[in-house]
Amino acid sequence: MSELFTRKHKNPHAHVIHKPGRRLMMHVPLRFVFNKVMGHGARGTNAGLNLVSFIDFLIVTVIFLLMSFSASGEIGVDKNVKLPKAENAEDIIDAPMVAVNGNQILVDGALAGSTRAIEELGRMQKIDELFNMLKNKRELWKQVQPGKPFPGVVILQVDQDVSALVVKSVFQTAAFAGYPNVSFMVGKLPSSQ
Amino acid sequence: MGGVDVGSEGGKKRATNSDINMIPFIDLLMVTIAFLLITAVWVTNSRINADAQVPGPPNPTQELTPATPEKVLNLHIGDSDFGLVWKQGATVVSEVRVPKTQVEVGDGSNKIVRYPDLAKKIEEEWKQQGGHRDPSDRKLDQCILHSDNRTPFKEIIAVLDALYAPKREMKLPDGNKQVPVFNMTFSVR
Repeated sequence: MSELFTRKHKNPHAHVIHKPGRRLMMHVPLRFVFNKVMGHGARGTNAGLNLVSFIDFLIVTVIFLLMSFSASGEIGVDKNVKLPKAENAEDIIDAPMVAVNGNQILVDGALAGSTRAIEELGRMQKIDELFNMLKNKRELWKQVQPGKPFPGVVILQVDQDVSALVVKSVFQTAAFAGYPNVSFMVGKLPSSQ
Repeated sequence: MGGVDVGSEGGKKRATNSDINMIPFIDLLMVTIAFLLITAVWVTNSRINADAQVPGPPNPTQELTPATPEKVLNLHIGDSDFGLVWKQGATVVSEVRVPKTQVEVGDGSNKIVRYPDLAKKIEEEWKQQGGHRDPSDRKLDQCILHSDNRTPFKEIIAVLDALYAPKREMKLPDGNKQVPVFNMTFSVR
């Protein structure tokens, strides 16, 4: 075989066509194959990629995300409301939501009044529309769950720039509608201790 | 990896080694991760309690007995300071003023105002004057917040955050829990 690739002696019959069939690698008339077989081969141009560690990473990530997945999702915050943040706050609970942005008062997304009337008057007042909506919600809850005591909890999503007058008016209206336990929704600040 | 084909005689013998194609499995994992990342809840919200003490109708069957009024903390938000006034009925028990030294946390447009000095003073005041301390006592000391009608809500939350900083232990049906020492309500005037 080596005579095929020497420079001094050239075999005139080296490239004769042979009949197809099995052959040893030493008889393949290609220099790089011959070098490889003889142990003088150059480094292979293909590099194998070890995917085992990548798959491990993907599996761990999937398991982590599955464990932290919440099917109930997050409680929706009105897009016009920028919540203030606080550190000493408790976990959110499921309760009717009253959102107060710059102009509007919404109960679970439905319009329930305007803040302009309160600000123009300049003093605390009962918001009739909000009162009626919350009262109806309370009556409906009692009809659906007659044997249970009414919790009377409502969550206020108030924009951070809303004045105290509006907050107090909404707060008092909710209390008179039968929701004395009010919670203010805030963004969670990490503990400083 | 390279391999050597040892050949098969007429294709009768099945190959002993078979490769598992990992590409579809990797695709499945990546799609699952993308779905979970898109639907993940990244922002957590919390709540701060308040209580509207709405007087109810009198109970005609209950005998009226004069009860000693409890001490209540009145927290006044001023322009340059806070007033902490303990009152028992109409009697002022103690009065303390705390300078309004705010600490800004965060950067840029996300700055948050906090009042750590107020939180410390409230805790000191509660330790001196607070009436409900025992873990088996389920009642909380009351605090009435007095603020100007023009005060922005974020400042009220900063004050509430300071008010709810001091905590005490309370025995609950599902175990002992750290609860804020005060329950807040707004002043109507």
